[in-house]
Amino acid sequence: MPLTGIDDRVVRVDAAAKARGEARYVCDYTFPDMLYAYMVRSSIPRGTIDSISIPKLPDGYYFISAADIPPEGKNELWMIQKDWRCFAEGDVRYVGETIGLLVGPDRNILKYLLDHVDIKYTEGIPAVSIDDGIACKGGAIVGEDNVLCQLYVEKGKPMSEVFAEADSIYEETLETGFQEHVHLETNAAIVTEEDGKYAIYASAQCPFYIRKSVAGLLGIPQEDIIIRQTTTGGAFGGKEHFPDVLCGPLLVAEHRIHKPIKLVFDREEDMLYSVKRHPSKVTYRTALDKDGNILGIEGLVYYNCGAYLSASYVVLQRGVFHANGVYDFPNTYVKGIGIATNTFPSDAFRGFGAPQTLFAIETHLDHIARKFGFDPAEYKARYFIKQGGETITNGHIVERVMLPEMMKQVVDASGYEEKIRKYPIGSGRGIGISFYNHGGAFTGNGEQAIIKAHARLVKTGGRVRIEVGSTEMGQGFQTALRKIAAVVLGIPIEDVDYDNPDTSLVCDSGPTAASRSTMIVGKIVERCAAEMKERWAEGDFSVEKEYEHPEGHPWDQSTFRGDAYLGYGWGCAAVEVEADKLTNEIHVTGIWSSHDIGHAIDELIVHGQVNGGIAQSIGYASMEKMENRNGYFRQSSMSDYVVPTSMEFPKQEWFLVENPYEWGPFGAKGMGELVFNGADAAYIDAVERALGITVHRIPMPPEDIEEALGNGQ
Amino acid sequence: MGMTYIPSTLSEALHLRAETGARPLAGGTDMMVQSKRGIGLAPEFPYPVMIISGLEELRGITKHEDGSVEIGALASPAEIAASDIVPWHVRMAAAGMGAVALRNSATIGGNIGNASPKGDLPQPLILLDADVILVSLRGETKMKLDDFILGSKKTALKDDEIIRSVIIPPHEFTYSFYRKIGMRRANAISKLSLSAAAVVRDGEILDFRAASGASGPKVIRSYSAEAIIRGRRVEDIPEVLDGFLEAWNAAISPHAMPQYRRNTTRRMLSHFLSSIHDGAEAGIIS
Repeated sequence: MPLTGIDDRVVRVDAAAKARGEARYVCDYTFPDMLYAYMVRSSIPRGTIDSISIPKLPDGYYFISAADIPPEGKNELWMIQKDWRCFAEGDVRYVGETIGLLVGPDRNILKYLLDHVDIKYTEGIPAVSIDDGIACKGGAIVGEDNVLCQLYVEKGKPMSEVFAEADSIYEETLETGFQEHVHLETNAAIVTEEDGKYAIYASAQCPFYIRKSVAGLLGIPQEDIIIRQTTTGGAFGGKEHFPDVLCGPLLVAEHRIHKPIKLVFDREEDMLYSVKRHPSKVTYRTALDKDGNILGIEGLVYYNCGAYLSASYVVLQRGVFHANGVYDFPNTYVKGIGIATNTFPSDAFRGFGAPQTLFAIETHLDHIARKFGFDPAEYKARYFIKQGGETITNGHIVERVMLPEMMKQVVDASGYEEKIRKYPIGSGRGIGISFYNHGGAFTGNGEQAIIKAHARLVKTGGRVRIEVGSTEMGQGFQTALRKIAAVVLGIPIEDVDYDNPDTSLVCDSGPTAASRSTMIVGKIVERCAAEMKERWAEGDFSVEKEYEHPEGHPWDQSTFRGDAYLGYGWGCAAVEVEADKLTNEIHVTGIWSSHDIGHAIDELIVHGQVNGGIAQSIGYASMEKMENRNGYFRQSSMSDYVVPTSMEFPKQEWFLVENPYEWGPFGAKGMGELVFNGADAAYIDAVERALGITVHRIPMPPEDIEEALGNGQ
Repeated sequence: MGMTYIPSTLSEALHLRAETGARPLAGGTDMMVQSKRGIGLAPEFPYPVMIISGLEELRGITKHEDGSVEIGALASPAEIAASDIVPWHVRMAAAGMGAVALRNSATIGGNIGNASPKGDLPQPLILLDADVILVSLRGETKMKLDDFILGSKKTALKDDEIIRSVIIPPHEFTYSFYRKIGMRRANAISKLSLSAAAVVRDGEILDFRAASGASGPKVIRSYSAEAIIRGRRVEDIPEVLDGFLEAWNAAISPHAMPQYRRNTTRRMLSHFLSSIHDGAEAGIIS
């Protein structure tokens, strides 16, 4: 078989099985004597539980609730903190909160039982929006002020001095909505017992997270629970922490019942009762001199976290650290506040807090540029941060920043210069442009201090097996990681194995999140492979290595000062639109992008990520509307919450710039989230120009465009 | 849960219908979804059902001698969209329904019988004054589709009747317009649709009609509003346009029509009539 080169385009290792329908998802697994579980959930957003009446259960049927947690266990799921309860007890804090599980052998009977559960509540007044949360509507949900988490960062002079020097201050508030992941495979898990241990089969991104999160429910060591990731049909962050919410109750049920138990959400449950992207409300006050030069920016970032913290503090940090976009402003002060509300907890979603503030800063700068008569692209380019430039967290940009080159590629390919002349504001056609980045891997020294990732290669004869906890969720990582190992070892990719992880067999290489897998885990595997190649003649052996943190990048997690990220992916996107004058429908007529991801491990996979990330981002800005009224999500199916189809957008023209990253395998940096982070702002810029409107929130479906046009008149 | 029957002839189906009241199910693209119960469970109907997809008597698309086109109740949107004898407005609506799988499974009978305000086919059919043929052991009844659909999810179908076919009378329009606005470009439920048509001869508007879909409990045609245009000279359009648009606006259900749908309907109708006034070439106004 031929050797694999890092720049060879390879067929994805998982493609054939998935295309043929041979891949097995949780739903496809069955075990002897397997039982099914249905979730009994809160039907109100806020209140106390007065009584729970369960119909008489036939033999072999169970109702599992907080009362089934053994004395040595605690009713808490451990994500960042331990505030999210496995089962609601006494009160409920959001619609869909888990109250119990109905478990038994026949789904028909379970459905009947579920329909006849009667829970009586004394209802409270829910806080749903960020404003509700700030106002402590219905009384505080958390603490005295509903603040779940907060932080601030400052750079340069105090803002009071900056504002005193300013000729004018441009202030505006920009908002973004909920976004649903719509992974093709819904959330699902099976719990069972194997050889005296608990075993959980789950559709999940982070098997080791599940183990850590649920072990405390039974007060047992994490090692007594085996998590086996099953082939996962998409995740986008929706299966980073959320599988804990399925696996926790299942584990408690298993502790009592001792039979295999399967829980599979249908699409409606997955839409209504799962985590979403944090809605945001970002207010910028920008100090300007008389010529429109930026003296400093003050930002106030609110994220709607829902009823529990889950990963919100880290999401908020990333939001704050990206609130100055790709720019080097002399003075900044940004405060972030995570607000508790009675909505389903918000959690990880591709971009992890960065897309909200990047949309806000890009759109804010567009508005300032237009006010002073500058072309937004030209105006923004003045402030591009450069290598060595001071970041918002008083750290420095480590790598060469190629934004000027990337902008040139996109401007040239899209005909931007000609089109901004050809399409006057309000002409019905417009082109918009945006710039964005994404800090790779965990914030600051998190990789070193918190994760301490390990990876292992095992050689058996001529074959090499990769043993890591990182997961394939459709993004192509099994292909990318095998390719890295194969190329370093100088063997065909077919001779490298990498199965879905089983926590009892593989190293904990950290969560599959934060665009860290290729950059961090890939690098450890590259190092393992280099050693294995040298020792190849030794016979069968294994090589295990731990993450090594590059020296000289200070970070203080208590003050959020220093190098927040060791490397960024960078992006530039242009979107061209035509507005239908009759219907205000927006047709996207062109998409161009350029990304700096260091070096691409596999261009075919990268191409798929670029296309998908940009389509998902424009969907976020245009049609993906998830409303929550009085605590209830309004969209419950894929026909009322619509994501873009292949019919929506034209073929994308895309570029990569070569900028090898010193500490990544073959020079690679993270890229899965980067490609989501900016096309939304380019799209809105184009819409604003085409229609001569000013937009302050996304998504903007035609109804909202109509309203904006009406307001403008 | 009701019984499920599978009749093999129309006559058997009519007997079943009369005796058990079983509801006809063909493609199942509405009924199966409405009665779904989640993963691993078959949909359950709270009434008896008969699966009629095997009834040859309800198939086919035929052009009659008088120029009218009869579409069997089991014709799928895919068949309708691909037929060269079905009028343009109806083909457009059929081609824009759901995704490929749905267009191959759904039926015109089901789309009419379901009487969803967002259903795609009733709108152009009502524009074209289509009749629906209902059949029972008592015989056949013919009625205007506009009269058959009473409101959201309500029809005049009697307990012993089955929809046999739809008959579209012949027409020859000088100008035609069709537009469906969904939440996205493909595989979308209609949030607004509009058909319009006009016959113009020697500068006189002999016929003018319009139909709004997804705009109220049922497809809206306003014969009184249409009459404002009908019989006028093309050059008089600017004079009567505002009056017509007001009349149409008044005909639209006030509750179901937020500003966007209202304004968009107005702009489309205005565009259609203005194009005629401005001497557009005969054919489809886009």
